[in-house]
Amino acid sequence: MLAIRNLSYRYPHAEKPALAGVSLNAERGQILGLLGPNGAGKTTLISHLSGLLPVQQGDISIDGSPLSVIRRNTPTRIAVAPQDYAFYPMLTVTENLECFAAAGGLAGDRKRQRIAECIAFSQLEHFATVRAERLSGGLRRRLNLAIALLPEPELILLDEPTVGVDPQSRAFLLDAVKTLANNGAAVIYTSHYMEEIEAIADRVIIIDDGRVLRDGTLSELLNDGVAHVRLAVDGMTESQLNALLARYGAVESSGGEWRVMLATGQTPAALLAAVEGAGGRLRHAEFGRANLEQLFMTLTRRSLRD
Amino acid sequence: MLFALINKELLALTRDVNGLAALFLMPVLFIIIMSLALKDVYSPAIKSLQYTVDNRDNGKLADTLLTEWEKRHGKPRQSSATWSDEVRNGKLSYALIIEKDFSRELAAKQFGSNKQLRLIADPGMDNGVYSANNAELIMIATELRAQALLAAAQVSQHQMSQRLSRPESKTPAGALGTTVSAQSLVGTDRLAAGTRPTSVQQNVPAWLVFGMFFVVASLANLFIQERQCGALARLASLGVPTGTMILSKALPYLAINGLQAAMMLAVGVWLMPLLGGDALSLAGIDWNALLLVLLAVSTAAIGLALALASIVRTHAQASAVGPIINILMAAIGGVMVPKFIMPEFMQRLAEFSPMSWGLDGMLAVLLRGSDVAGVLLPTAKLMGFAALMVIIALLFFRRPAN
Repeated sequence: MLAIRNLSYRYPHAEKPALAGVSLNAERGQILGLLGPNGAGKTTLISHLSGLLPVQQGDISIDGSPLSVIRRNTPTRIAVAPQDYAFYPMLTVTENLECFAAAGGLAGDRKRQRIAECIAFSQLEHFATVRAERLSGGLRRRLNLAIALLPEPELILLDEPTVGVDPQSRAFLLDAVKTLANNGAAVIYTSHYMEEIEAIADRVIIIDDGRVLRDGTLSELLNDGVAHVRLAVDGMTESQLNALLARYGAVESSGGEWRVMLATGQTPAALLAAVEGAGGRLRHAEFGRANLEQLFMTLTRRSLRD
Repeated sequence: MLFALINKELLALTRDVNGLAALFLMPVLFIIIMSLALKDVYSPAIKSLQYTVDNRDNGKLADTLLTEWEKRHGKPRQSSATWSDEVRNGKLSYALIIEKDFSRELAAKQFGSNKQLRLIADPGMDNGVYSANNAELIMIATELRAQALLAAAQVSQHQMSQRLSRPESKTPAGALGTTVSAQSLVGTDRLAAGTRPTSVQQNVPAWLVFGMFFVVASLANLFIQERQCGALARLASLGVPTGTMILSKALPYLAINGLQAAMMLAVGVWLMPLLGGDALSLAGIDWNALLLVLLAVSTAAIGLALALASIVRTHAQASAVGPIINILMAAIGGVMVPKFIMPEFMQRLAEFSPMSWGLDGMLAVLLRGSDVAGVLLPTAKLMGFAALMVIIALLFFRRPAN
């Protein structure tokens, strides 16, 4: 449905591009998880799709039509639920929905019907007459989502939609997003919560420095991950253990626990046998492949971004 | 602990550029502008007023009076047949009319029934200046009359002296049955359109224009809130055209300005008399002209608000810059200090303040009885200013919040 090819963008006076040759696809009925540290280029990408930034280089198309044509003729096919509470705090839930429904070209019975459906979908019935500024964080997120869904968009961009909400609201929002995809919408979901992406994304894209680092299904990405052994050992000094483990791969340690990313050809059995052979007593050992967070940290490195 | 907290306060203050601007820049600007504007307030402002003379008398006393007046008020402008129009629309502050029998009657023992020396003033002339001119004119005429009467009496100086020495005669003129004062020979009037110029008549237009421009801060703050929370970007992503967004902001404030105008006019008409003040008179004014001026002032105020809202980035900026611009425009534009009091270069500067244009239009309607044609110039200036501001707003409107 959505196809982005070699999209590049540089802000005026910026030293390096915010996006450098980004390509990706989003399909109907699927949730595309978009991961990246702060400053990776996610907001720039979303700003292109919501029409706030022009395409400098590359190509964005919806069902084969250029994005500019879609935005000019049928802008409501694409909806954005931004990270901010993009509504009017002094208006009630219903007044906000009426305002944005009219802005999206809805009128008459159709408008009333969509407002009722979106209130029901977001379970905001009991708060319809409450001013938005008096809503809790979770309710505000639900209103933000409800507004985005008013014009029945085919492509929905959700920018960190669960920031600052309680676990119940988060579970509700994740279920709601899955429902949207099941109903046939293409969903792009950005988040810093890896477990959310693992829970709902059909495909995952990791971007950093304006480039796509990984693009695939969750299992494809995790299978690519490096095998590792986590262990806690008694009976050996820190330096002895570091020296021994370094023979089997890259070593990290924190809080009395060691983590070894196994080098090619090394096995966990050989590593554990070597520890015991050197007089170490295993207190805890765990073998597996990297989860999404570990993969993300490995790909984007640990340095702070802002 | 106290030191750390004071240090924090000072750091916060030094990093709030807008707050500092309001704290330091505003007083400095005010001192400069108000000092310059009020530079001539303790020297007679009447000296710099533009006037003309229509001398229909060939007598010597008329020439003497004019010479004396010129010494005090400077040279008159060339007299023209249209002086009354020029006085009515404020281009001339007043005209001095000397009737053909002035010299003869001034030296005569008895006056005729007609005023021989008239000062016809701009309807918008300040009451104090108007009264000062009137008193000065009577004083000069009386002095000339006294000299003329004394000269005529020189031939019988002895007789005069004898009469003057009698205790029942306090003045020589009185002894002759003659009034020395030339007051009844002098008449002053305004070219008013059925309205009596009062402080209310002059103040309501000034503060109405000032008040209408105060939508700037309100509109700008709402706009910034919309932009910062992303609602504006959301509207744009839904395909709402920029022109529609701007119009949706302008029209409600146009209505608010309309309500403001109605309320302030009502206060002048009905509330002020109840409080013991003069009533604002709307009798005989051209309502179409009034509505046109109000519309132009409102359009200019909203245009300025839109431009400002599009340019500034934060609530703090809008809250500081909006009122500063308003107060400066008012100080320069004749709202706080009447323009006639200002020195000439400040009066020229006032011509660049939209509030001055609005005030000119309002005074023309409420004091001079101007019709639509009479207010076209100030309204055109205001509309032009509004158009320029809207263009600026359009250029900056879609700028992202961050």
